[in-house]
Amino acid sequence: MLKNDKSIDLQSKANQLRLDVVQMVHGAKDGHPGPALSIADIIAVLYFKELRIDANNPQWEDRDRFILSKGHACTVLYAALARRGFFSIDECRGLRSLGSMLQGHPDMNKTPGIDMTSGSLGNGLSLGVGIALAAKYRKKSYTTYVVMGDGEIQEGIVWEAAMCASKYQLNNLILFIDNNGWQSGDSIEQVSGLLPILPKWQAFNWHCQTIDGHDVTQIINAIDQAKKSPQPSVIIADTVKGKGLAYMENDNSWHKRVPDDEQLAIALKTLGGDVNE
Amino acid sequence: MSNYKGTREAFSQALIDLAQEDDRFVFVSADSLKAMRATAFAEKFPDRYIEVGIAEQNAVAVAAGLASCGLIPYVGTYGGFITMRACEQLRTFVAYPGLHVKFIGINGGVFGGEREGVTHQFFEDLGIVRSIPGITVVAPSDAHQVYQAVKAISKIDGPVYLRAGSGREHVVYDQETPFELGKIRVLRKYGNHAALFANGFILYRAIEAAKRLNEQGIQVTLVDVHTLKPIDAEGITAILQECGVAVTVEDHNIIGGLGDAISKVSTEHCPVRIERVGLQDIFPSSGPAEEVADYYGMSVNHIVDAVQKVVQKKQRGCGCE
Repeated sequence: MLKNDKSIDLQSKANQLRLDVVQMVHGAKDGHPGPALSIADIIAVLYFKELRIDANNPQWEDRDRFILSKGHACTVLYAALARRGFFSIDECRGLRSLGSMLQGHPDMNKTPGIDMTSGSLGNGLSLGVGIALAAKYRKKSYTTYVVMGDGEIQEGIVWEAAMCASKYQLNNLILFIDNNGWQSGDSIEQVSGLLPILPKWQAFNWHCQTIDGHDVTQIINAIDQAKKSPQPSVIIADTVKGKGLAYMENDNSWHKRVPDDEQLAIALKTLGGDVNE
Repeated sequence: MSNYKGTREAFSQALIDLAQEDDRFVFVSADSLKAMRATAFAEKFPDRYIEVGIAEQNAVAVAAGLASCGLIPYVGTYGGFITMRACEQLRTFVAYPGLHVKFIGINGGVFGGEREGVTHQFFEDLGIVRSIPGITVVAPSDAHQVYQAVKAISKIDGPVYLRAGSGREHVVYDQETPFELGKIRVLRKYGNHAALFANGFILYRAIEAAKRLNEQGIQVTLVDVHTLKPIDAEGITAILQECGVAVTVEDHNIIGGLGDAISKVSTEHCPVRIERVGLQDIFPSSGPAEEVADYYGMSVNHIVDAVQKVVQKKQRGCGCE
């Protein structure tokens, strides 16, 4: 089990990432803060505890891989990479600007530490299946992690990938579903016939877990369980879109919206940490 | 030199030969192993045969993942399913990151799909991939050239689309004729009354047309433009300057393929009168390959007529305007 102080440390890292996100979107005057905040705790656990990566050697071939399939949430990934030393936090000021290494969605050729270009929804799991298959073929021990939104699993390719991962028993593949209940247009329930999510993955012969996606201890334990499974593993992380800022939580207008100066000040007060703008 | 019967067998043999030399080569199948004639590959290299089932989008994205780890995947299935069903995966996750994935699209053109009808006749594939940045596009004309092309494209560190057929391809070249990626090949040089540009499995018709035209006293320069992208603008311009008028012949919609590619070179470097023989922007129907190609404007007579037309224009002084 995780020690309590480590848990607190990861929680504070997650809040630091949240503040970075708000500052980035405020500075760029563009971006998707709500979807980024809902996965901040998962990203913090991955980048500050789980991933075997080397900021000095981003292309290290034995590294764990991470794919942010819901690429519009990339600000939280950029913040994590900066805080892990892949590039300076100052780069975050260039978000979405011409010539910046930080594109509107993740770009594996422009940003150190991005393992796969992503952003058009639904594709990340297939890309992860390819990477996990390469590990099997090359007899590498790395783990491939994918984070998808609950909305994006409406895409058909997700289920093509789910089938394929199951066929090849990709126990080196761990999928998080950011189950915040919202998608761009409205609630998942209103837009699609997706629910319930869990039985679908069970039917595809995946190892399935449901956790509180904001509880770092649960996230860590779920990864431990996933690694013991002989099957590919999905962790359905129940989350709150915009988690961490009261004015943003469960308000879907924050899917893509820029905080004003006052809202930034609230974020600074709520989340603490350093000002980097 | 290896043995093979058609373009699909040539692909399979070339991939086996590549795989024997280099363990990075893998084959991604969308339940297309038999269609690609790649069963022998799967038997020789079972751990390098990835079968995703009838799921082309997944096949292409999986290949992108494999390539991101240093492998060289060949994805082979029907050309339209790669370029239409999985177009976005090809564009965003292979071409955009510049990954080392090779696509072999079979059943190219009406010649490839023939009796199956429009759902399996793929005459837009080359145009679709041509419009995507960073991808090399190749349309060899027979099995010998496909064998060599499959090997040649393996050396490109980036995405490639290669059009293959469905077993009805005529043999045009001997086995020893090299395939020089990115360069045109002058196939017949009867004279410079007109340039005749062709590629793919319809090239044999252009050869026949050039022969008949020669018997009528019209001497053409017949050119195989097997690499559509990057196009050999220098070589094509030299031919256009020499001949002054041109005809393009392709088993593809006249939008997006060879006719467009030659027209672009002409517009930019040497404006001349051009007639385009190909599918005239309509949906064809089922039928035997030869009959379908004839019916939809790609017969030897259509080629002959088109050349006669541009030569007459040239004689009237309205070839190069």
